[in-house]
Amino acid sequence: MNIQDNYLKNKKNIFFSENKDIQIHREKLINIFENDRFDKKNNESLRNINLKNFIDFKYKYLIPEETAVINNNQENSYSIVSVNGQCSSFKDDKIEITKIQDEDYDDFSKNNTIENNDHFVNLNSLFLNSGFKIVIKKNNDIKIKISNIITDDNLTIFQKNNYICEEGSSLNLIEEYENKNNSTSNILKVIKLEKNSQLNHFLIQDNSPDHNLIITTHSSCKKDSAYTQKVYNFSEGYVRNFHYSELIEANSEADLQGIFFLKNHNISNNKTFVRHLAEDCKSNQVYKGILNDRSKATYFSNTYVDQKAQKTEGYQLSKGILLSDNASYFSKPELKIYADDVKCSHGSTIGPIDENAIFYLRSRGMSKIAATKILISSFINEELSSIDNEQMAEIIQKKLVRYLSKVK
Amino acid sequence: MNSETLNTLDSYSKNKYKYGFVTDIDNEKPKKGLSEDTIKFISLKKNEPSWMLDWRLKSFSKWKKMKEPKWANLSFPEIDYQDIYYYSAPKGFEKKPKDLSEVDPKLIETYNKLGIPLEEQKILAGVAVDVVFDSVSVATTYKGELEKLGIIFCSIGEAIQKHPDLIKKYLGSVIPPGDHSFSALNSAVFTDGSFVYIPEGVKCPMELSTYFRINAENTGQFERTLIIADKGSYVSYLEGCTAPKRDDNQLHAANVELIALEDAEIKYSTVQNWYPGDEDGKGGIYNFVTKRGLCAGKNSKISWTQVETGSAITWKYPSCILKGDNSIGEFYSVAITNNFQQADTGTKMTHIGKNTKSKIISKGISLGKSQNTYRGEVSFLRKADKARNYTQCDSLLVGNQCGAHTVPYIDSKNNTAVIEHEASTSKINEDQLYYCRQRGLSHEESVSLIVNGFCKQVLQELPMEFAVEAQKLVSISLEGSVG
Repeated sequence: MNIQDNYLKNKKNIFFSENKDIQIHREKLINIFENDRFDKKNNESLRNINLKNFIDFKYKYLIPEETAVINNNQENSYSIVSVNGQCSSFKDDKIEITKIQDEDYDDFSKNNTIENNDHFVNLNSLFLNSGFKIVIKKNNDIKIKISNIITDDNLTIFQKNNYICEEGSSLNLIEEYENKNNSTSNILKVIKLEKNSQLNHFLIQDNSPDHNLIITTHSSCKKDSAYTQKVYNFSEGYVRNFHYSELIEANSEADLQGIFFLKNHNISNNKTFVRHLAEDCKSNQVYKGILNDRSKATYFSNTYVDQKAQKTEGYQLSKGILLSDNASYFSKPELKIYADDVKCSHGSTIGPIDENAIFYLRSRGMSKIAATKILISSFINEELSSIDNEQMAEIIQKKLVRYLSKVK
Repeated sequence: MNSETLNTLDSYSKNKYKYGFVTDIDNEKPKKGLSEDTIKFISLKKNEPSWMLDWRLKSFSKWKKMKEPKWANLSFPEIDYQDIYYYSAPKGFEKKPKDLSEVDPKLIETYNKLGIPLEEQKILAGVAVDVVFDSVSVATTYKGELEKLGIIFCSIGEAIQKHPDLIKKYLGSVIPPGDHSFSALNSAVFTDGSFVYIPEGVKCPMELSTYFRINAENTGQFERTLIIADKGSYVSYLEGCTAPKRDDNQLHAANVELIALEDAEIKYSTVQNWYPGDEDGKGGIYNFVTKRGLCAGKNSKISWTQVETGSAITWKYPSCILKGDNSIGEFYSVAITNNFQQADTGTKMTHIGKNTKSKIISKGISLGKSQNTYRGEVSFLRKADKARNYTQCDSLLVGNQCGAHTVPYIDSKNNTAVIEHEASTSKINEDQLYYCRQRGLSHEESVSLIVNGFCKQVLQELPMEFAVEAQKLVSISLEGSVG
């Protein structure tokens, strides 16, 4: 079925299909799909995957029954269950959760200037069928945990979330994606940090082999705000992590980190993109990957420094370990710099586990597998030990042990 | 930024192109534009055998179906291929002069202005020079001495006549005409260039050098260079260019192919100083060059060194295909851009054989309103066991209107291969500047010293004959402030 028929057939299920402006925008998107040649070589969003499977899909969506927001009784701590990408509304003096509105569509979907040719974002805008918006009110310090549940097999979820941290607020956000059904989730998150706010964002991804997860985040930071993102990808299915960050006012920071553990025929595409648009900002992009069996991964990192953005510090680091002959890793750490008073660098390495280190451990009586496991753990130790949430650290440690048990 | 720095920047950007002059020589040209007739005309003029004409026509038909590659970080107006002369040779050059005294004195004068008097150079440098003035080889010196060793060093046109077997075997073997539109274009209309063949076991005793210039207005230069190093041989090849000042953009699409067989080594050095356009970005040369080397045999080595200071647009990626086991590829580059220059340059290392090694050192310096991009690809294929790569690319920004970009592509499909890549971008270090000033150096001298130090890793890779010239060029690019 072509994309237009697919859309028209399911229109009543799709958000904002009555809105004329959005309708016009969507027609443009349909045109893009029908006319694009899908240039695999130059379009980063197409690498390693067969886009046809994602365009020629069978649309299926179930509207969930109401879900509850549970205040954990602990102060300032909330846990939210999102079912099929939706969440019931909630309001107290600290946070507010609402359904997304027509005007929320415009953020990033319509005004997507960075990535015009990201077909997954375009698909999301076109078939949008779920999502919610969370606002953290001024000067609050909040913890939120969101569990994502999908109720049926073969669902196609196109979700959009908006997170807004108001002035002086601080949010600790943990999101879990652990799904065992063969669904496809295409999630776009738009994150706004007002003056002097903070967001620590953890994403734990652990899906079954036939579950596709496509996450795109777009964060923008105002004066003195800081966004930290940590992605832990243990999924056995396809995962795409594309994260954009814009530093739009002075003295803001963005820190995008990720670790992925791949095995079997798993594919993971990763991208981080930081745009420095104001002075005195800092950014950091660190991705580490461990690839086993026939897995494939890509990592694109990009630092853009505008002419105005003097005194910028932007760092990138990407490291990959290939455990098997058949694994492959592609990395493209890019710097685009238009200001002169900057400190920018990137480093990228890909290789096997250090033979000398293995030899050292084996000469002290350790088996080869045990040595390998120790070295893998030490490779990512820096990232794991920096997790300040004990509960989180425990969950991740468990998943790591599970991954290592399959390493031979 | 203090006023002294601003003054320095000012003088950087006002520094004029020294070699801007035009030699007035009657040119014999075909009609403008590209068609089968043009290609037949070129082939006829060069007295080529029919298989060569067929090869050209085949390339032309490929070119017609192709589009220019658009991925580079460059912006330039559409090139009108029908508004270019594809062949220009000074009159009476169908018969080659036997020695320098037969050469048009005006030509000799041109080279004198450039500071490379042929006759002196013969004696002083001991360099055999294959001079290309526009499209026809003017004089080839030191031929006799090379012939004794069995080395073939001549223009490609001559090689097509005299060594058709080698040409048939190797031409287009590293850069197939259908690779991309500029290689197809070059294959269709190339007029001259150098051909080098080093026989088995011969170490070429001198640096081979070609000096070519673009002279006639609206004439694209389509050089084709082919270097073959047979088993166990060694050759070092120098290429340097300067061009007179013009307002019309001139197109240059050269192809350079290197082939190193077992245990052979080729060192290819380039100093490029073509007219970059004036302070307002008007004029200048469009340089779309394809350079590729094939390490075909075991233990072979290819090393590219380049100093790029000229051209309005530079699109150049000297690459190595490391096919033989234990083969080595190296790439050293300094690219300086000023005013409105745009450079998108880098390399491509493709590791196919076992234990192959590659090293990339790239230094980019941006001044004025220029854009300088490093674009490099390193890929390890499945069978490249124990392959190794080290890449370092540093950029220096002088002034806040220029841009420095780094776009590396790193692809590993082998789990024993190790790849390391690092890059940094910064401005001239204030502490270093302060240190130099403290010790009594002027601001200009300090900047010069720091920039020279920044480039040293690459400049020291150049052969002696070239090092002086390269340093001069770097200085000229910074003249008035850091000389």
